[in-house]
Amino acid sequence: MMIDRRLFEEIDWVLIGLVLLLSLLGVLFIYSSSHFLPGNYYLRQLIWIGIGLGAAFLVVIVDYKFLVSFSIYLYFLIIAILAASLVFARLVAGTKSWVKFGLFQIQPSELAKVVLILVFARIFAEYKGRYLNAGSTALALVVAGVPLVLIMLQPDLGTALTFVAIFGAAFILGGLRKKTIIILLALSLIAGAGGWTFGLKDYQKKRLTTLLNPREDPRGSGYQINQSKIAIGSGGLTGKGFMNGSQSQLRFLPARHTDFIFSVIGEEFGFLGVFIVFLLYFLTLARMFLSVAKARDRAGVYLIFMASVLVTFQFLINVLMIIGLFPVTGIPLPFLSYGGSSLLGNFIACGFILNVKMRRFANV
Amino acid sequence: MPGDKIYEDLSVIIRRANAVFRIVAVALLLVLSYYWKTQILDFRKFWDLAESNRTRIRVLSAPRGLIRDRTGAVLADNRVSFKVSLLRESVKNEGVVYPAVSKLLGISEAELRSRVERYKNLPLFEPLVIQDGLEPEKIAPIEARRLEFPELEIEAEPRRSYPNKTLAAHVLGYLQERSPEEIRDNPGRNLRLSDMGGRAGLERQYDDRLTGQDGSVLEIVDSLGRKRGEKATQPPTQGRDIHLSISAILQTKAEELLGDREGAIVALDPSTGEILAMASSPTFDPNRFIGRFTPEEWVQLTNGPSSPLENRAIRGLYAPGSIFKLVMAMGGLDLGYVTDQTTVYCNGSVLIYGTSRACWFHQGHGSMNLVNAIRNSCNIYFYTLGRQMGIDPIAASAGRLGLGRKTGLDLPGEKEGLVPSEEWKMKALKTPWFPGETISVAIGQGQLQVTPLQIAVMTGIIANRGGRVEPHLLLGREGSPGAGSSGIANRAPFKHEAFESVIEGMWRSVNDQGTGQGARVDGMDICGKTGSTQVVSRERAEMLAKAGKPIKTHSWFSGFAPRDKPRIVVTVLVEFGGGGGAIAGPLAGQMFRTWKDLPGK
Repeated sequence: MMIDRRLFEEIDWVLIGLVLLLSLLGVLFIYSSSHFLPGNYYLRQLIWIGIGLGAAFLVVIVDYKFLVSFSIYLYFLIIAILAASLVFARLVAGTKSWVKFGLFQIQPSELAKVVLILVFARIFAEYKGRYLNAGSTALALVVAGVPLVLIMLQPDLGTALTFVAIFGAAFILGGLRKKTIIILLALSLIAGAGGWTFGLKDYQKKRLTTLLNPREDPRGSGYQINQSKIAIGSGGLTGKGFMNGSQSQLRFLPARHTDFIFSVIGEEFGFLGVFIVFLLYFLTLARMFLSVAKARDRAGVYLIFMASVLVTFQFLINVLMIIGLFPVTGIPLPFLSYGGSSLLGNFIACGFILNVKMRRFANV
Repeated sequence: MPGDKIYEDLSVIIRRANAVFRIVAVALLLVLSYYWKTQILDFRKFWDLAESNRTRIRVLSAPRGLIRDRTGAVLADNRVSFKVSLLRESVKNEGVVYPAVSKLLGISEAELRSRVERYKNLPLFEPLVIQDGLEPEKIAPIEARRLEFPELEIEAEPRRSYPNKTLAAHVLGYLQERSPEEIRDNPGRNLRLSDMGGRAGLERQYDDRLTGQDGSVLEIVDSLGRKRGEKATQPPTQGRDIHLSISAILQTKAEELLGDREGAIVALDPSTGEILAMASSPTFDPNRFIGRFTPEEWVQLTNGPSSPLENRAIRGLYAPGSIFKLVMAMGGLDLGYVTDQTTVYCNGSVLIYGTSRACWFHQGHGSMNLVNAIRNSCNIYFYTLGRQMGIDPIAASAGRLGLGRKTGLDLPGEKEGLVPSEEWKMKALKTPWFPGETISVAIGQGQLQVTPLQIAVMTGIIANRGGRVEPHLLLGREGSPGAGSSGIANRAPFKHEAFESVIEGMWRSVNDQGTGQGARVDGMDICGKTGSTQVVSRERAEMLAKAGKPIKTHSWFSGFAPRDKPRIVVTVLVEFGGGGGAIAGPLAGQMFRTWKDLPGK
C-alpha cells in the first residue's frame, strides 16, 4: 500500500499549511507564557508538532478503508488500555488519564478519540437508509458507551464530552427519527441527573456551579474563570504586546500555556489577535467540513465529518470556557495548547481528512 | 467493505454535514461577538481589574520625631527593625500554614490565630503584622526560607528606641499599637491599624506632633503576592522633633540618687517654669513595651505592687508633712495671725482640744519665732498657729500656693491632690469639720494630699516671691501653657515681707544647723524645708513607738537656690525614707551640686 506520486499530488497542502500555521502560532504563545518556567515547553511543543506530522503521514499512506476495517482491533486495544490505565496509572492531577511510555506521558483518552472516529465510520457506513433504525442505534450506543464509561471513571469530563460530541455527530449524519431523539434526550436527562448525584466529583460539580457565578468563590474554582476573563478583557483592541501581558507574565492566569493559551493571545494581541485566530480557524474548519464533498464513499464522509467535529467541538468549548461561558472542563485548544497527546490526536484526525480526500478517485 | 459501487449516493449525508458546518460558522460568529463585547465594550472594567490585580500599595511607616533634652542630646530615637506580616489572602490552607509559620517564627499557633481573629475585619489584602522588633540577624533565617513561605512578608520599619533605656522613662512615656477604637475616633488623622502610637508621657501628649506622615509604594506583584517591581513612591515624612527643658545630666543624677528607693525628684527653673529633671522610682525601660505584643512583663509591671509605670512626680499622692509649714507660715503672716516677732514656747508637747500633741523634738525647742520654727520645723508653733487660723484660711493659703489643683504640666494624667476645707468635708463626707482636724492639717497631715510636682511649684512661687510658676517640659516659648512669654504669670497675692521671713527660715534650715542642713552645698545659697510624713495613723504610730518599733515615714525635702534671683527648685520625696532631714535633704543637696557644676546653664 505504498503511496504513489499521483496520490501525493492530491494531498491538501492548504489544510496542512493552515494547521501548521495554527500550531506555530501556538508555539509563539507557549513561549510567551512559559519562558519564565523551567522546561522549555515551546521546544517540546515543536518536537510534538514534528511527531504529529509524522503520525499524520503514517495515517495518510495507509488507505483509510484499511484503517476503517482494521479499527475493530484498535477499538478493543484502546478499551484494554483505558481499563488498564484505570487500574495501574498513578494519579496525576486528580485523574488517571495519564500513562507513561518511557520518556513520554500519553493520555490514552486522546488516542481513543481518533480510534472511535474509525470505529464509528465503520459502523455507520453500513446504514445507507435515510434514518437509523432502532437496532443500529442501540449497537452504536453500546459501542460508544463502553469507552465513555471508562473515561468517566478516570475521571476526565472534558474527554467524555468530546466523545459525546463525536457520537452525536455520527448520529446526526446517520439520521435520527424524532421518536429516537426524544428517547435519547430523556435517557441523557436521567443519566445527567444520576451523574450529578452519583457520578460527578465535588470539584466537577463546583466547576459547573461557579460557571453560573464566578465571583462567589474568587480564590477557588471561580479564580481561573475570573483571571482569564480579566486577561482577555484587559487586552482591548490591540493587546498589551507580546510577552507583555500582566495577567499571564505575572502568573495570575492559570494553565497559561495549556488550556488557557487563548487568554494569553487575547491579552497580548487583543481583539485583533482573537479575530485572526478565529479567522484561521474558520478557514481550517471550512476546509475540513467542505471536504466531505470530495469523499468517495460513506465511510469517507463519516471520517471527514467526525474528524472536523472533533476539532470544532474542542475549539468552541475551549474559547467558551476561557471566557466563562462554559464550565472549566480541561479541554485544550486544538493545535495551539501545549500538550503532546492532544496535538497527536488532532494531527491524526487531520490525517484522516487528508487520507479520504486524496483517495477520492476510486481504486487508485 | 460495504458498498463497492464506485459512486454511491452520498447527497443526504453531505447535506447534513454542510448544515452542521453552517451552524458552526454561525456559532463562531456569535462567540466572536462575545469576545468583541468583552474586549472592546468592557475593556475599561477589565483593564482596571488587571491593574488592581498586579498592584498593591505598601505603606512606608514614617519615623517619629526625635525627643531631645535642652542641650540637644537625643532621648528618644528611631532605629531600623524588621517586622513580619502575614498576607492572609495568600494563605491557601490554614491547617498547614499556621503551624509552619508559628514554628518558623517561634510564636505559639494559638497566639497567631488569635491575632488573625482579632483583625478579621481588616481587608484581606492588608498585610497583618505578626511579629515585630526583629534584629537583622533574626531575620536572616526567615529570609532564607522565603520561597517556602509566600504568605509572609518581611519589611523594615523605623522603630522607636530610647538610647538611654530607663532615663526619663516616665516623662517620655511609651508607645503601643493603635487600637481599632483609636483609629475610629480620629478619622482626620489618617491612622492605620498596626501603627504605633504614644500611649503615655510625652509620646502621648505630643503624639500629633511626633507622628509623621506615612509614605507609600505602589508595588507590582505577581499572583503569589511576590514583588516584581515598583511604580510610584511617596516618601514618608518624619514627625517633628521636640526639645525638652529636661537636662539629661540632672535627670541622670536624679535617677541615680533615687536608686532602689521608691520616690520622686523634681527639679525646675522657677523663673521660667521649665522642668529640669523629673524622676520617678521604680522605673521601667520603655524599649521593652514598644512592640505590638504585650509581653508578660508588662502585665506584671502594671499590676505590680510598686507600680513602676506610675509617674510618682505627678501622680503620687502624699501628705506634705512639715513642708506644709511653709503654707502655714505664709498664710499666718499674710493674714496677720502672726508677725515675725510672735513667739511660741515649745516644751516638747502641747495640750490642744483635750489631746496632748508632741513635737518631734521631745526635749522641746524653747521659745520659737517664725523663722526659727521653720528652721527647726517646730510642731508646737504650727499647732498653735493652726488653732488660731482655722481650716478655711489655711485651705485658702494652700490654694494660693498652687495646692489642690493641677499644675498644668504638659503630661497626661496629672493628679490634683486634696486640700481639705469645711465645705469640702461637708460635700464629700457629709459631716461637719472638727477643729481637732485642723491641728493635723497644720503640720501637713490629715486629709492633705499633694504631688511632688505641686510641692516643687509651691517652692518656686515662694522663691519667686509670689511669681507664679507654670511648669512645662517643652523648651522655650512653645512650652508655656499660658499665653505669657515666660512661665511667670500673675503673682500669688501675699505680702512681700511674708516671703522674706519664710525664705529666711528656709535659709536657716539649710545653712544654720536647721533640719535641712543635709542639703547644704558650699558656695550656694540654698533655702529649703524638710518634711517627714506619717504613713500610719497617729494612734498606730504611738502604739509602734511604745512597742519600740521603728516608724518608717515618707521623707520630703523641697528647696531652691540661689536665695536671690532663684534659678532652681529641687523637690525630693522618698517613700518610707525616714526623717526628711536625714534622707531627702542630702539627695537634694547632691542635685543642687550637680546643677551648680552643669556646663553652660
